[in-house]
Amino acid sequence: MAQLSAGVRRARREAQRSVRIQGRASGLLGDCRRAFHAFGELDELAENLRILSLNAELAAGRAGEMGRAVRALTQYTRELVNRLAQIQGEMFGLRVKTYALSSDVLRELLQLHLFERAADLVAANSASSKSAGIVADRAFAQVMRRMVDTLDSLADSVEAVARRAQAIEEVVSQSDSIATNIAIEASSAGVHEKEFRTVSDTMRRYVDDLRQMIDEASDAVRRALEKGDSLRRIGLENLHELQAKRILGE
Amino acid sequence: MKCVSLYNQGSHRWLAFGQDPAKPDAVIDTVQYVVCAQGGAMLLDPGGMEVFPPMLASITQEIAIEDVSGIFLSHQDPDVGSSLPLWRRVCNPETKIYVSALWTGFIAHFDREAVFTAIPDEGMEISLGSDVRLKLVPAHYLHSPGNFHVYDAKAKILFSGDMGAALVPPGAASGMFVENFASHIPYMEGFHRRWMSSNRARDAWVAAVSKLDIEMMAPQHGLVFKGDDVPRFLEWISGLDLGSGVAAMAR
Repeated sequence: MAQLSAGVRRARREAQRSVRIQGRASGLLGDCRRAFHAFGELDELAENLRILSLNAELAAGRAGEMGRAVRALTQYTRELVNRLAQIQGEMFGLRVKTYALSSDVLRELLQLHLFERAADLVAANSASSKSAGIVADRAFAQVMRRMVDTLDSLADSVEAVARRAQAIEEVVSQSDSIATNIAIEASSAGVHEKEFRTVSDTMRRYVDDLRQMIDEASDAVRRALEKGDSLRRIGLENLHELQAKRILGE
Repeated sequence: MKCVSLYNQGSHRWLAFGQDPAKPDAVIDTVQYVVCAQGGAMLLDPGGMEVFPPMLASITQEIAIEDVSGIFLSHQDPDVGSSLPLWRRVCNPETKIYVSALWTGFIAHFDREAVFTAIPDEGMEISLGSDVRLKLVPAHYLHSPGNFHVYDAKAKILFSGDMGAALVPPGAASGMFVENFASHIPYMEGFHRRWMSSNRARDAWVAAVSKLDIEMMAPQHGLVFKGDDVPRFLEWISGLDLGSGVAAMAR
């Protein structure tokens, strides 16, 4: 009994490889959540921008010839809104995929931890056969390999989020130019100046909100990619280590 | 984790694993069984995922994991078989998984890739080696609606799942067997009154297992009954009023 308890203590102490991985994976999944959370208000902003473009078009109509340029700018704004809606749809799909992959990672982590504990307990029991330890290590390696594959898919998913963030950044930059151009048009719009300036200021506020959204998301995406890469390296190191022990028989 | 041999005749063995001193208190104590014969082995209710590491370490001291040819789940509970995806990773891919036809889709929530051999309501027989036949005895509604026990006529052992289960406080038992039936009742009574819901199902089960020649009755929780304690249990359970939870609905 005393020997078993010592074995158990040792196993608990040694089952830290998966605990370390678990800590980093929690950080990775947290960053993924943070990235999607940052984009949480994208639909509301896109809708606000759409309404603003409609109101601007009405104001441009009221301004007649003086509002011609603004009318053209608002039509262009609507195209940007459509682009945002498209990105938003893609983001939804990516969020579903990322959360599904995250849940796979969590399940694999739990299995890694249990196999690691099993392998350590087998090693602590002198009566266990050598092949028993190999079986547990092999199962650990199989789950680790699967997790590395899942992390690869997760990294692809996060990179796709990064590409969408870049696309939003382009929309932001173009919206910013439109806001500037409307402000320029406002200065020569006479009695319509106030109305156009309000449109320009409001648009700039939305642009600032979008920019803040991108900053937060980009930070989370960058951290997620770094952590994913680091986790993948740990996974591969573990696999190489097990391969060196000829556990994998490759 | 303790391992006790219940039966040992050549390659034909029954092993009970339980009473792990390292088990966290929050995890209900379970007993896992292994029946071996002629190079084949069947795990009976291999346990929850928390039990898997010590169970794998213990079982591999007794048998080669490659010998496991079947895994039997008496019903769907997590303490019975949530370790299934882990066992499937260490056992042969050909290992068969037996479970009530009622539960295959539910247990797939533990392991979506598992392929089950669905046990029909009336039960079935499984061969282990050339001369050991395990009879899967229906025990529906005791406590699960799709529930089976395992009878080995040669070893005269009945694995009885939650029937005969006892919540024995830590340190109250010195071994794996019931030593004094009367003093064991308090550990069983509340469990059976609450978890077993049907007096009709109980009567049908008692009638069926009374026809079997049983020397040991091995439940999934608590202690193993042997000798005269088996008929004592059947008599005791026959007189117990089951379904105590119904009273709470009447209040």
